Order: sequence, then structure tokens, then C-alpha cells
Amino acid sequence: MNITSSDVILLAHSTFGVLGTMAAIWVFVETLNAREGNAGRIRLVAWIAALCMIATWIFGGYWYVHFYPADRAMILKGPWPFAHTLFMETKEHLFFIPLILSFYLPIAAADKLYENANARKMVLWVAMLIVLSGLAIEGAGAVINHGAKVALLHGIPGSGR
Amino acid sequence: MSVENAKLGRGSAGFGMAAAITILFSTVLACVKDAYKPLNSFMNSVAWHNWITHGIVDVILFVGLGLILSKSELAERIAAGRLISFLVGAVVVAGLGLFIWYAIF
Repeated sequence: MNITSSDVILLAHSTFGVLGTMAAIWVFVETLNAREGNAGRIRLVAWIAALCMIATWIFGGYWYVHFYPADRAMILKGPWPFAHTLFMETKEHLFFIPLILSFYLPIAAADKLYENANARKMVLWVAMLIVLSGLAIEGAGAVINHGAKVALLHGIPGSGR
Repeated sequence: MSVENAKLGRGSAGFGMAAAITILFSTVLACVKDAYKPLNSFMNSVAWHNWITHGIVDVILFVGLGLILSKSELAERIAAGRLISFLVGAVVVAGLGLFIWYAIF
């Protein structure tokens, strides 16, 4: 078995992304049933979503800067260059949407959701937008991964790293 | 005040508006730096990589605008439903805008 730091960082990036998305789903469901008793839990999980997205940003950013250039060169020479030119380019900038929304989620959740319908509505929308954009980004990640895989399968020069 | 018509808190309203503006700004910045290479090169020189600079600028803008708008009455005066619509609209426009931009250019 040969697990490199690149593998660990990449998997940590996507794992924290999934955990952040799941935390947003948790916030959404708890907010549908908002009452005084679960107000603290909603705020705690909103913070967890934000922290997971920060971890995703740091791990993803480090991997993107230090390890992705080799993969990018390989993808661009392979049969799926759009995995980079469309999906990676969109993904890397789309990521700022759930990042900013996850920073906002704990702030929105600080209102008394159990007695304020509009505050509840805001948290529901923000959590749902994090989930939808998070899923779109995970999907784009799968396309990029497949772009690298088909490049390897087609024996692109320089792909034997 | 009835619970159905309750206003958002100052922080929630101010940072909600800041989030929507930041998301739109981030999308415009992504397109501009893609089209205008000197800006991309400048952003590469600021913090290792243009993407890192981009993220830092977004966070600073969100926090700065959020603090300013939270202290002003501007965001608080806007009806909660409108603010939610603005935020959702910003996310949809930004998401589709980025995809279309990179699909065409």
C-alpha cells in the first residue's frame, strides 16, 4: 500500500465537504422543527458546517496549488479536457458560494428561530443552498476525477507519476 | 409583532445582504480575472495563487460589508422576504453564470 500526502489531503478535502453538506442538511431538518429546546443544537451544527467548509477550503486550496497542476496537464491531454476547462474552473469558483453561505449560517441561526418565521425561512434557504451547491461541487469533483482516470487509461505521456 | 411578520436580527439582515453581494462580486471577479490576464497575474502575486487571493478578498468583503450593514439600518429596513429572494437570486445567477461563462469561454 502506498498512500501519499496528496491522497490524504485530497480525501480530507472531499470528506470535509461532504461533512459540511451533511451538517447543513442537519440544520435544515432541525429548523423545520425549530423550538426552544433545539435552538442550541441548531447553532452548534451551523458552526460545525462552517468549520467543515473552512477545512475543505484549506485542504482543497493546498492540494489545488501543490498537486493539481500535474493532474491538470494530464487531463488537458486526455479525452476529457472539459473536466478541467469547464468542471474544475466552475467548481473552484462555485466553491466560494457554499463557503460564504456557511460563514453566514451561524449568524442567521443566532436569531430566535422558534419564534421568528422569517428568520426560520432564511436559515432554511441558506442551508438548502449550501446542500445544493455542495452536491453540485461534489458532482463536478467526480467528473474531474474521471477526466484524470480516462487520461490514465488512454496512456497519456507523463501520467505515470 | 406577530411571529410571521417578525424582522430578521440586525446581524442576520446585514450579513445576509453582505453574503448576496459577496457572491455576486465573486462571480464577476472570476469572469474578469479569466478575461483580463494582468489581473490574474496580479492576484497570483498577492497570495501564492489567484484562487487563494480570490477567496481572501471574498472573506474580507463579506466580513467588512456585514459589519457595516449590521450597524446601519439599511439591511434591517428591507423586508425579510425580499432579502431572502435577493440572496437566493444571487446564488442562482452566480452558479449559472459561472457554468455558462466557462462553457462559452
